Amino acid sequence: MNLENEKPNGGGKRRSASQWAVAWRRFRRNKAGVAGLVIVLAVVFIGIFGDFIAPYPAYPANGAFGPFYKGDVRTAPNSHYLMGTDVLGTDVFSDILHGTKFALYVGVVVTIITMAIAILVGAVAGYFGSWVDNVLMRITEVFLVFPSLLFILIFVRVFTLGGGAGSSFNFLGISVPFGLTIVVVVLAIFNWPGDARMIRGEFLRVRELEFVEAEKALGAGNRRIIFRHILPNILSSIIVVASLTIAYAILLEAGVSFLGFGDVSTMTWGQILENNFSDMRIVWWAEVFPGLAILITVFGFNLLGDGLSDALNPRLRD
Amino acid sequence: MRRLLYMIPVAIGISIIAFLTMYAAGDPIALIKAGKPNINEATLSGLRTYYGLDKPIPLQYVNWLMNILQLNFGKSLYGGLPVNQIIGPRIWPTIELQIVSLLIAFAVSIPIAVQSARKPYSKQDVAVTSFSLFGVSMPTFWFGLILIIVFSFTLGWFPSAGSQGVAGFVWWGNSFFDQIAHLILPVAVLVYVSLAQNIRLIRANMLEVLRSDYILAARASGLSERKVVYSYALRNAITPAITFLGIALGGMIAGAPMTEYVFSWPGLGRQYVTSTLNLDFPTIMGITMIITVMTLIANLIMDVLYVYIDPRVRIR
Repeated sequence: MNLENEKPNGGGKRRSASQWAVAWRRFRRNKAGVAGLVIVLAVVFIGIFGDFIAPYPAYPANGAFGPFYKGDVRTAPNSHYLMGTDVLGTDVFSDILHGTKFALYVGVVVTIITMAIAILVGAVAGYFGSWVDNVLMRITEVFLVFPSLLFILIFVRVFTLGGGAGSSFNFLGISVPFGLTIVVVVLAIFNWPGDARMIRGEFLRVRELEFVEAEKALGAGNRRIIFRHILPNILSSIIVVASLTIAYAILLEAGVSFLGFGDVSTMTWGQILENNFSDMRIVWWAEVFPGLAILITVFGFNLLGDGLSDALNPRLRD
Repeated sequence: MRRLLYMIPVAIGISIIAFLTMYAAGDPIALIKAGKPNINEATLSGLRTYYGLDKPIPLQYVNWLMNILQLNFGKSLYGGLPVNQIIGPRIWPTIELQIVSLLIAFAVSIPIAVQSARKPYSKQDVAVTSFSLFGVSMPTFWFGLILIIVFSFTLGWFPSAGSQGVAGFVWWGNSFFDQIAHLILPVAVLVYVSLAQNIRLIRANMLEVLRSDYILAARASGLSERKVVYSYALRNAITPAITFLGIALGGMIAGAPMTEYVFSWPGLGRQYVTSTLNLDFPTIMGITMIITVMTLIANLIMDVLYVYIDPRVRIR
């Protein structure tokens, strides 16, 4: 890189770039982290192109059997159906490929909403402290203590009552299943407290640093200090937590679907497991493989999160 | 003591949320009507009075709260049985499952985590950390499914469902061993999941504590390695784990529905799933309140334990 061209930009920008470069170099040395990144990239690839790679088309939303249905119900894995066919006669391998995009949708959108709430609550509580902190943290604790899965189930059940299963809406040209979106929003509503606590802790730490005091002396407003100065400083922690939150969200959605509360017309991995649960003595392949897909994906995001944590927060390591 | 008082608003808050959720769903009588279009108006208004749904909402809430304080949860909308009769026999199986797996998980995770933290990044440590990362990446219920497929369907070693033998058939000779046979698989699932979490947490704390100066001082003063690790370091490493455990307990107790569902365990979790699918609100709210109280009691026990392990808390 040409140093002379960079100079007029001011040292700050270049230094921040090299900070990420250092982190990347540290990350590359971490085999587990790299393995996680590879898994995640593979999953994203399948999420985008899965519909084209899959040997059979997706299960049609209207419940009618598509052209792929050949009466091959409950076929054990063979050369035509790599992972067998399930109770509905759909190819499990294709279902898993089609379902990848839903898993990513759940993981990413739950995480975006969760982080938005968590950053807001954590920032306000950690930055202003005193009674604001007290009130917000008590509320957070209530959310943490109470059995959130129970509320997730009842909320999902109640909000999907008005229909929604089967319908979808258009977002930036992508058709998004409506029922699944309800599940996603409910998951996010009950998922933020842990992350909010973490972000609050980071804010508590950073707000005592000198540069914040300097900003205050220069007359910067609270909002500017929070979003322009403190937030970039804790970005590394946020990225780590986000990666772990994606993993957790995918797990949770699978559980909710498996218990029979998911969007019936959207073949998420959890939904495949649920559909074949009562027949699992016969169609074990329809239970084993979708679960493996969940395991590998979640494992990938967890590995990536741990790797990022080691690379971005070296003080935690030694 | 402060903690005990703090529990009361938490419980009330949760009860209000639970109660309002019922109203977010709309009128339960309308739901009945939607299911049975031929029902006549007189029956509907009769039902309305029967369940006390004709009174204003705040009054209904107070009535309901007064009733549950006397341990009367009302009648199920699905079948009409008193909720007490539905919930009562399901409390013990849930507690049994939870306590057994919690104790095993905690007892096993401490030595593993300590050994692992003593030689970080050794082969053994890498094995333990990947094992536990696997545990937190695995859907609880799916691990249960795999166990059933392998040990129940294929090998036939353990029963795949329920908490005791049915129709006079008992596993392993007598009814005591029969219960153990039924416990093994669900306990294995719950243990593995919480084991993984515990190990990750205790190991991380242990790594930090083992680097601190007082450990160096303890070693320098010639204490045995065993004493340094287990009585000096562990005490400090385990306190954050207990705090976390207190917080996580709610999640764990609530996570039981999946395990109970997979193994058809006759506990609160599985009943909750069934009742929620049926929109049977009195039962749902009854179970929610009982699980909430169980969680809060568990938290209280954790707090007491915390004071016992870390005396500094008492002074503060």
